Amino acid sequence: MATNGNNELGGLPFDEKAHLLDVENLHVEFRIEDGVVRAVNGLTYTLDEHETLAILGESGSGKSVSAQAVMGILDTPPGFVTQGSVKFRGVDLLQLPETVMAKDVRGQNIAMIFQDALTALNPVFTVGWQIGEMLRKHRGYSKKEAKEAAIELMERVKIPDARDRVNAYPHEFSGGMRQRAMIAMALSLDPDVLIADEPTTALDVTVQAQIMELLHSLQEETGMGLILITHDLGVVAEVSDRVVVMYAGEIMEDGEIDDVYHHPAHPYTLGLMDSIPRPDVHTDRLSPIRGAPPDLLNIPSGCPFHPRCPFAKERCTTDDPQPISIGRNGHESSCFYWEEVQRDR
Amino acid sequence: MTAEPSTEHPAPAPDKQEPILKVEGLVKYFPITQGIVFKKKIGDVKAVDDVSFELYPGETLGLVGESGCGKTTTARTILRLEEPTAGAAYYDGREIFSMSKKEMRDLRKEISVIFQDPYASLNPRMTVGNIISEPWTIHGMVPKKDRRKKTQELLEVVGLNPNHINRYPHQFSGGQRQRVGVARALAVEPSIIIADEPVSALDVSVQAQVVNLLEDIQDEFGIAYLFIAHDLSVVRHLCDRIAVMYLGKIVEQGDEFGVYDNTAHPYTQALLSAVPVPDPAGRADRTRIVLEGDVPSPANPPSGCRFRTRCWKAQGVCADEVPELIDRGQGHPVACYFPQVEFAEEVPSESRGLDTSD
Repeated sequence: MATNGNNELGGLPFDEKAHLLDVENLHVEFRIEDGVVRAVNGLTYTLDEHETLAILGESGSGKSVSAQAVMGILDTPPGFVTQGSVKFRGVDLLQLPETVMAKDVRGQNIAMIFQDALTALNPVFTVGWQIGEMLRKHRGYSKKEAKEAAIELMERVKIPDARDRVNAYPHEFSGGMRQRAMIAMALSLDPDVLIADEPTTALDVTVQAQIMELLHSLQEETGMGLILITHDLGVVAEVSDRVVVMYAGEIMEDGEIDDVYHHPAHPYTLGLMDSIPRPDVHTDRLSPIRGAPPDLLNIPSGCPFHPRCPFAKERCTTDDPQPISIGRNGHESSCFYWEEVQRDR
Repeated sequence: MTAEPSTEHPAPAPDKQEPILKVEGLVKYFPITQGIVFKKKIGDVKAVDDVSFELYPGETLGLVGESGCGKTTTARTILRLEEPTAGAAYYDGREIFSMSKKEMRDLRKEISVIFQDPYASLNPRMTVGNIISEPWTIHGMVPKKDRRKKTQELLEVVGLNPNHINRYPHQFSGGQRQRVGVARALAVEPSIIIADEPVSALDVSVQAQVVNLLEDIQDEFGIAYLFIAHDLSVVRHLCDRIAVMYLGKIVEQGDEFGVYDNTAHPYTQALLSAVPVPDPAGRADRTRIVLEGDVPSPANPPSGCRFRTRCWKAQGVCADEVPELIDRGQGHPVACYFPQVEFAEEVPSESRGLDTSD
């Protein structure tokens, strides 16, 4: 896939053998008045071309914050990346100056779409103007060229009557169409990685299916790597190749989608699966996870999940388990008692 | 076929007893006005258009549909938070829409509500004890000296610590707040609870706790639920009967076996096929009906069947006449001239489920 012609970032050459994206031991914290919120504590994953990686977690799990850190759009202060690396084709983005991030990385190498397309779009500019903006800024397109390119992009994301609607404002679009417009904007510079942060959460289920199908076909077409951030186990199961399950800023379990869904090796993953009803078959009584997600100012000692965990033992209250390899295809679990969990299943 | 509003729908479980709530031909239009000083009406948003259903004691009826389909307006109109444009609703045989203010106040002891957002629906300046006992002050129920004890009992029923009676809503998590909402709804000892998206604002791991709580309460007190939701998995799990709405009308109604396993209406089929299944096995073989375009505006709905503009089965008759919600041989009422007619064999749903997952 074309990397927009460049083969270096800020003077650092790409490593052709490296992963498209390689995040290692990422730590993010927010220093606020009440204390330090440790939002991400040691996140590690890789992403290759054509691959879809899901980051699954509930509110406060650190899934969105980690994406902001990767994109270099964390609000600093209060947010700080305190440890780790984010390598794009071998080049650590965290070491690059903001000017290079803004000029070369964001939009060209990594683009992002957000949950709420209405707040992400500027209400006072036309949709077409906003889609063409990146091309005017980065590629030096004229207004007229950018508008033509915007129409083409709108057609690519299947916005009907693109030529007429290029001059419409965001409020004139439905929720699904706004999300399509935002995808068109993200695709304008042909990025290698697309991060989709809860792209369908605000949408109705039939529209959600349309958007997921669109993302899938665009990925087939361009070969980009897709990071899907979501809380929805159904969406993850439908589209991803690999999944990282996060809780309180830490990885609980990660692996290929079939391994994680059919042989869960962490009590949290198991708990999530048992607590959701299914649309396709009748479910008898649900088995919820007891308690509530932790206060991030006050994360439990040891394993952060231990106060809610039916498998927890003495050791879990003091030692924080790190991800260990437990099976084929990079299946990892951060549970001391993962074998017991798998037997339970 | 007549285009008259249909008012009688065969309920799948009719011989239980008399319905506790009966809605007949409910219509709610919101006027669209133009002008600032001299407002003139230029049209109507047809939010709810000829909706009829029955709710039996102790059962759960799910009202499902996408945003803008009129499910919440239906509930609000039954509670007379909106005045109906036409139609009738009967609580235990008494007509609701002609009730006086005093009668309405008494009715609100019988029908209570749980709202979606537990952050917005609890007054942040009141303790949970006061929130739960406020209905007693309004309705003059429960002698003052007993209120504290009864409030604590209710907290215990919904799984909260009775000693937290003097805490404020912000001291609770989202799931706990929704439990407070449930306790408040229970305080008046209602026979019906209208639950409007009660779990959709909650995290996945907490959602199941509240779903189970709602089930337990129904088992214990025999309350009937009108459960309004967009999450088809939760609805399947919780509801005895389901009514699917599209653009202000019920398009299909039946029990789990009818609506989910023998889906007859094209819209319901599309809706169900769009729900992501939390199981990666066989995802490549799953057939998905992806609907084209958006829901039409309820201010200017299509003639005849409202789904016809997005329907792959639509023919001339669909534009000319409104299909009645009747049983056309499906075993449950469907508002479609060309419903699905092939059915699955009647086998227990548990064993069917195992076949598909492996």
